[in-house]
Amino acid sequence: MGGLLAYQFDWSIIPPIFPSLLQGLELTLEITVVTIAVSMVVAVPLALARMATVTIIRWPAQLYIEIFRGTPLLVQLIWVYYALPVVLGINLPAFIAVVIALSANLTAFMAEAYRAGFQAVPKEHLEAAQVVGLRRVDQIRFVTVPQALRQQIPVILSLNISLFKDSSLVSTLGVADLTYKGNIESSLLFRPMEIYTTIAAIYFIIAFPATLITSAIERRMLAGQEGQTPNRPRGARSLMLKLLPTHLLFGGFGG
Amino acid sequence: MVASDASGGEAATGRRAEEMMSVVHAQAAPGATRQGNGGGAIVAGRGISKYFGQRCVLREVDFEVTPGEMLVVMGKSGSGKSTLLRVIAGLAQPETGELDISGLTVIKDGKHLDGWATQRRLVGMVFQQYTLWPHMSVYKNLALGPRRVLRQPESEIRSRAEAALDEVGLRDRMHSRPSELSGGQRQRVAIARALMMQPRVMLCDEITSALDPPIASGVLNILTNLARNDGIACVIVTHDMAFASKAADRVMFVEDGQILEQEEPSLAFSNPSSAGLREFVDALKVK
Repeated sequence: MGGLLAYQFDWSIIPPIFPSLLQGLELTLEITVVTIAVSMVVAVPLALARMATVTIIRWPAQLYIEIFRGTPLLVQLIWVYYALPVVLGINLPAFIAVVIALSANLTAFMAEAYRAGFQAVPKEHLEAAQVVGLRRVDQIRFVTVPQALRQQIPVILSLNISLFKDSSLVSTLGVADLTYKGNIESSLLFRPMEIYTTIAAIYFIIAFPATLITSAIERRMLAGQEGQTPNRPRGARSLMLKLLPTHLLFGGFGG
Repeated sequence: MVASDASGGEAATGRRAEEMMSVVHAQAAPGATRQGNGGGAIVAGRGISKYFGQRCVLREVDFEVTPGEMLVVMGKSGSGKSTLLRVIAGLAQPETGELDISGLTVIKDGKHLDGWATQRRLVGMVFQQYTLWPHMSVYKNLALGPRRVLRQPESEIRSRAEAALDEVGLRDRMHSRPSELSGGQRQRVAIARALMMQPRVMLCDEITSALDPPIASGVLNILTNLARNDGIACVIVTHDMAFASKAADRVMFVEDGQILEQEEPSLAFSNPSSAGLREFVDALKVK
């Protein structure tokens, strides 16, 4: 405590390095946006495969999900960045390598969120669609997916917020994101307190409103469900509660 | 509450039914076979059995429903009455037996024939649970089937949705969300949604069990009007003896997967021939 009070903060070093930090932030956002876009699409067939009744389709999907949920994200990043080029014999640009690793990880979690959403749609809603005569593909498109996504919006947003923060791990691979830029400036200026406090503030300024939006959506959804279907879809809340303590409180949904 | 005049009178309804039947017959796929027996029945089942694992829930049941008939199905929980409706609606596949819809065999030896997809459109179903799709407005709930299945133009869908909502007395709720409606209103919208597919048979599985008696009575009156004015056969699973006595043409009593009795309500309730129905009626009277 005394050490912290004794420390003389020098915030004047921040303005000169701020453009460099913003440059890093730009890359962080790029990685985050591309990863989210890839994962949200790829997770749909993965979730459907995970729910398939055919074992040969379900098992590989389940194995993939469990591997990426059960190993640390940092290990996955290192593996894709260093080991995959050895295995495949191709050198991936750093940006591509980290996007692949992060997407592979987020997709596993996103697929589970989708699956919970699909399974939370009351079966009577699908039977009603069946009786109306809707084809299977229309049942999924018009009845299952809209309800599942609506149910899972808080979970999906939480996963995306976590990804934004966890993308800082790419700095360990030399990818010049926000954290990496901070590392460089810190080693040049020997003012880690000011620099990392600034970096933390930047992450917070972006993540906190997103967290507030997530909470607001969740509250609205819960309010909207009052007096709706008597067999209210379950699953989304319980999955979120399972995910939140590990991924939001302790950070890092990959490990 | 019910705008039965929206149907345009019995003559017009009869014409509409005939036109609809001819369209369905013309569209029937080659796999469906024309059924010679029970020509007057809109739905007929012969020897239908259904198992859940080792448990037999329907035991070679035979039944018929004629156009415009109000058939009330009664029986204890687990007796097989809901399964019977689910087989007719195509939600459960029987292991044995044949099912005809509008004179065409669509299930034979427990297997759906090619004509099934076309003929099933003649069967509408309303469930015990409120099964309106909660993310869609009332209008969208009504329009999805005609748009995606019948490929009807938007203008026609709109006018038919207005007519269907008139029929159930809810035209002013066309743009409401299901969450903004009461339980009775939701069931009436569910009936309107089924009507949009121009069914000839309406299956109702305990649709009033979660409703207060006056509201339940309003919902059942709508079905009575559909049967009487529009010639739609209604198969209603309910424990409402008062309604069955007043409106049913026939009461079917199901026990242990078998149809024990099929009588006019006055006969069925005053002088039940089976011990099962007698016991059931006595239990309902005590309630």
